[in-house]
Amino acid sequence: MSFRHFNHALHRDIGYLCIGLTLIYALSGIAVNHLHDWNPNYTLEKSIATIPPSSYRGVVSEAMVLDMLRLIGERPTYENIFQPDPESLMVFVDGRVIQFHLPTGVVEYERAQRRPVWHALNYIHLNHAKKAWTWIADVYAVGLILLSLTGLALLPKGKFRVRCLVLTIVGILIPIIPLLLYY
Amino acid sequence: MKNWFGVMLVMLLVGLFSSSLHAQSFGAPLSLKETTSISAILENPDSFVGKTLQVRGLVVNVCASRGCWMSIAAEKPFEQLRFKVEDGEMVFPMTARGKTATVEGVLQKFVLSKEDVIAYQTHHAQQTGESFDPATVTSGETYFQLRGLGAVIEDL
Repeated sequence: MSFRHFNHALHRDIGYLCIGLTLIYALSGIAVNHLHDWNPNYTLEKSIATIPPSSYRGVVSEAMVLDMLRLIGERPTYENIFQPDPESLMVFVDGRVIQFHLPTGVVEYERAQRRPVWHALNYIHLNHAKKAWTWIADVYAVGLILLSLTGLALLPKGKFRVRCLVLTIVGILIPIIPLLLYY
Repeated sequence: MKNWFGVMLVMLLVGLFSSSLHAQSFGAPLSLKETTSISAILENPDSFVGKTLQVRGLVVNVCASRGCWMSIAAEKPFEQLRFKVEDGEMVFPMTARGKTATVEGVLQKFVLSKEDVIAYQTHHAQQTGESFDPATVTSGETYFQLRGLGAVIEDL
């Protein structure tokens, strides 16, 4: 087998092996690039209700917590509570956070849920798993290096063209220009 | 040969995805034997600055956008301490709210000017989706947080 055929076969096969992770990394990359516009990992379901305002300020007793839950039609049971200040109460129940603001009577419900697909893609891309996944990600990175190097040698019909050089230089300049501008 | 391949595949999957159903670890393993009360730290924080501390408490808030901090409730009412890590170093899930966490970190002190407080609170409001009125800030403040090393969150 000639070098050209070997290189072509290597490039093609590495490409097949890398396709899954490349798509995951690319999609997740776009998702986390726009953190300011959306939360790529969680959806936050929020709703608001009101109860009669209260003049009480201070540590809320368990009986008061249960009464407040009854007022909004919740079962009188909870997992944990926290008061960030004397006017507010946070109740943690069934994966939800219910926040009461005593002076206004405003009640905010919030439930964080994993975004289907996106949470898993970001989990892989950002290596939240750590453990053995770090090594697999390293192997994938080596695969990408081989993919780029074998790609360089994929000359059209085995002949060097000016286009190959121009595109390669553009490919190198793409990361260098932002570095010169912003770094 | 096929058996070896099967064993290695199982070991790989176990290594990748193994974690307790009841407690999830983040960052470095916890190393301290003693837990310090958050309220005790907040009572006299300057004496703890620079020290590595282990604290335990209810997770009351989590960074919504990057999972880069958790607020942990103190033993006394109305007190909490922020546990902060570098982005990506550890990523705390929003589902940690309402769970109990044991964390270790180094206590840091920040002396913020009025402008710093406004910038910080604005950033915090963006992360949590809460509203914030800069006019409510009238002066600078001193702020303490644990620079995170490791954490274990129960019942995740």
